[in-house]
Amino acid sequence: MSRSLKQVAVLLVALLCLDPHSRVSSAPICTHGPSGCHVPSLADLFDRVIQHSARMHSLSNDLHSEFEQYFLPSKNSIGKIYRKCHTSSILTPNGKENAQKLAREELTEVILKLLMAWRDPLFQLHQSMAHQQDFNSFSSNKALEMGDMTHELRKGVEKVAEKMRVLGMLGNSVTGLSPAETMLPISDSGEAMSNYELLYCFRRDSNKVQNYLKILKCRIIPEHDC
Amino acid sequence: SFYRPHFTGCRSREQETFRCWWSAGIFQNLTEPGALRVFYQTKNFLSEWQECPDYTRTVKNECYFNKTFTQIWTSYCIQLRSVRENITYDEACFTVENIVHPDPPIGLNWTLLNVSRSGLHFDVLVRWAPPPSADVQMGWMSLVYQVQYRVRNNSHWEMLDLESGTQQSIYGLHTDKEYEVRVRCKMSAFDNFGEFSDSIIVHVAQIPSKESTFPTTLVLIFGVIGVVILLVLLIFSQQQRLMVIFLPPIPAPKIKGIDPELLKNGKLDQLNSLLSSQDMYKPDFYHEDPWVEFIQLDLDDPAEKNESSDTQHLLGVSRSGSSHVLNFKSDDDSGRASCYDPEIPNPEDLASLLPGHSGRGDNHPLVSRSSSSIPDLGVQQTSEVEETPIQTQPAVPSWVNMDFYAQVSDFTPAGGVVLSPGQLNSCPEKKKEEENEKKIQFQLVSDGAYTSENTARQLSASVPPSPGPEQGYQTFPTQAVEGNLWNGEYLVSTSDSQTPYLLPEAPPAPILPPVSDYTVVQEVDAQHSLLLNPPSSQPAICPHSPNKHLPAMPTMPMGYLTPDLLGNLTP
Repeated sequence: MSRSLKQVAVLLVALLCLDPHSRVSSAPICTHGPSGCHVPSLADLFDRVIQHSARMHSLSNDLHSEFEQYFLPSKNSIGKIYRKCHTSSILTPNGKENAQKLAREELTEVILKLLMAWRDPLFQLHQSMAHQQDFNSFSSNKALEMGDMTHELRKGVEKVAEKMRVLGMLGNSVTGLSPAETMLPISDSGEAMSNYELLYCFRRDSNKVQNYLKILKCRIIPEHDC
Repeated sequence: SFYRPHFTGCRSREQETFRCWWSAGIFQNLTEPGALRVFYQTKNFLSEWQECPDYTRTVKNECYFNKTFTQIWTSYCIQLRSVRENITYDEACFTVENIVHPDPPIGLNWTLLNVSRSGLHFDVLVRWAPPPSADVQMGWMSLVYQVQYRVRNNSHWEMLDLESGTQQSIYGLHTDKEYEVRVRCKMSAFDNFGEFSDSIIVHVAQIPSKESTFPTTLVLIFGVIGVVILLVLLIFSQQQRLMVIFLPPIPAPKIKGIDPELLKNGKLDQLNSLLSSQDMYKPDFYHEDPWVEFIQLDLDDPAEKNESSDTQHLLGVSRSGSSHVLNFKSDDDSGRASCYDPEIPNPEDLASLLPGHSGRGDNHPLVSRSSSSIPDLGVQQTSEVEETPIQTQPAVPSWVNMDFYAQVSDFTPAGGVVLSPGQLNSCPEKKKEEENEKKIQFQLVSDGAYTSENTARQLSASVPPSPGPEQGYQTFPTQAVEGNLWNGEYLVSTSDSQTPYLLPEAPPAPILPPVSDYTVVQEVDAQHSLLLNPPSSQPAICPHSPNKHLPAMPTMPMGYLTPDLLGNLTP
C-alpha cells in the first residue's frame, strides 16, 4: 500500500510540475530482477488498485456532496435524478451477476475504457472549478487529486492486465486501448455538462470501476469462495 | 402532500434487489388491492413503462424487484398510478446504489478487556458479524459500521466513529451500570445507514477491592496536614532564628549628622575634618589608639585555663570562638558594627568610620570569632563599660602615654590579657602614670565592635594586677598578613621563633620599660616594602598637637591605611 502511495506521490508531484496532458511513464523500480526486489504478486497488485479505486470513489462522493449543498437539485424523497453521462455509451454490466458472467478480458477492457474516458473530463472539471469563485481551493484540489488518481488507476490496471497476460490468465483478445475515441461529455441538449453533472456521472462510474475490479479479482484469484 | 397516494420509500438491502412501498393516503376507495399500480421505467434505452414485476403478497403495498429486474448504476423511475382513473399520483426516480440500506449486523457480543485499578471503570471489546445478505467477501458491498451505546434507559446514545472492521473497543464504562450497545452499518462512500441491530446489555459488577483506596487517600491527606502543622509550628518556634537567617539585620551608621556616603567614599582628611568637628570625637583619641581590637575571653571557666598554655588558650579562643562566647547574641556578624549593644555606641562608630574595616575581623590576629559584645561582659566590666570612654578620656590617666598599639605579653589565668607596655613617647604630660601602664588587661571584645584603648583601660582598672611583663614577647603565631597594609603594623609570621617585630633601637630613657619590639610602618617605598619608623624617633605621636598631625596624615603612622592612602604613600 505504501509503495503505491509513494508512486502516487511522486507522480503527483511530477504532474503538478508538468503539463497534465503530457504522458508520464513510470520507470520500474526493480531493474535487477527478483534478486534485490520484492516483486508484488498479482494479488498484491489487485489489492492496491482496489484500494486506489475505493479512494477515488470516496473523493468523488465527497465532491458530489459538496456540490449538492450549492446546487440543491430537485430531489424527491427517494433518490437522485437521472442524468445522462457521456460514458453511457460504454456497455457496462449493470449488476453483480452480469459482471460475473462477463469474460475477464471484457471486464478488464470495460474498466480501462471507463478510466480512459474520464481522463479529459476530469481535467476540464478541475480547470473550471479552479476558475470559478464559489469553490474554495479545497474542492479544487480534490478535483485535481481525483484526476490524478484516475490516471494512476488506469496505469495500475494496465499493469495488472499486463501481468495477467503474462501469467496467461488473459487471452490476447484484449484490444489495445486506443485513446482515439475521446468522448466529450455532452448532455442531451448538446451543451457541455455542468460540473455537477460531471461529478454525478463520475461518482457513478468510479463505483462501477471499484466493483468491477473486485469482481475481477475474485475471479482471477480464488479465495474464500467469492 | 401526503393525503394523496404516494410512495413511502424504496430500499435495497444488498444492492441486488429492491422494494418499493406506497400509501393510499386518505383516499379510502383506493386502498383495495389492485387499485393502485406501480410502473417503472429504466432509463437505459428503454422508455416503456413496465408494471411492477412482483407485488408482494404478504406485505401490503409493496413492490419487489428481484435480481433480474434490478440493475445497478441505472436510473429507475417509478410511478404510482390508478389505472381506473388513469391518474399518476406519484413519481420518483433513483438509482439503486443510492437506496441501499444494509441489513443490521448480526452476532453482537462483548468481552471484558480490563477493569481499572480502582474498580470503577472497565473497557469492553464489542464484536459483530456483517449482515449475511451483504456480499462482503467478494467486496460487492464494502461496509462500515457504527457502534452506539448508552446507559440503560438513558435517552442519549453515545456514538463512536465509523469502523470498517467488525470489532470495536469501548473505553471508560462505569461498573455497576448497565449499558446498551447496538451497531448499524452502511456502504462506505454512501449515506444510507441500515437498521440497528438488537441491543445487548453490558454490565460489570463492581468488585469490592481488598485494598480500597479510601484509607490511602485519607492517610495521604492526614500526612500532608500533619507535615503542614509541623512546619507551621517549627516556623513559629524558631521565628527569631529564621528571621535572622532569612532577613539578616543590616547595620546602619550611627553617627548623627554624618553622611554615610561621605564615610564610605570620602578622603581620610575630609573625614578627619568632619569628624573633628563633632564633639563626641576627639582627634587625639583618634590617632592614638583607634584600632586596637579587644578579644573577649571566656571568663566563666578558669579551670580550663590552668591546663593549657595561655597562648594556646588564646589561640583556642580565637579560633573556636563561638564555643567560648558568653552568650550575648547569636549574632555572628564578623566585622559588622553590632547594633545590639547600645552601651558602646562610640567605638562602633569609630570602627565603622574606618573605611573598609568591616569584615577584617577574622583576619586580624587579635580578633576572635566570638560574637560577643561588650554589654554582657560581666558585672564588673559592665559598669565600666557603660561610661562612654571617649568622653571621659581626660579622666583616663595612664593610657595616654602609651603608643597606640600594645603587644600582648601574657595571659592571666582568669583569662585576661596582659599587655607589655609600649614605648612611652616623650610627651611630658603623659609621663605620670607609667606604673599603671605596666599591667594592662585588655578585654578583647568581639570582632564586630572595636573599642578603644581607653575603653580597655577602663575595663582593666579594677582588674587585679597580673604578673609583670615577661622578658620575651609572646608572638602570635597567627596567619601572616604580609602584603596587607591594613594590619601593617603587625608583621606577624607563622614561625614562632622569629620575633616579628623589628627591634627598634633602645630608647635612651632608662626609666622606661623594656624596648618595645614593635614599631610603626612609616611609609611604603617603591618596592612595596614597609619602612618602619623607630619608635624613639617618633615625633608625631604627641597628642597635644593634633592639628599639626592631621594634615600630615599620610606620613603619620596611623596604623590602618586605606588604599587611598597607600596610593598616596607610594612614591
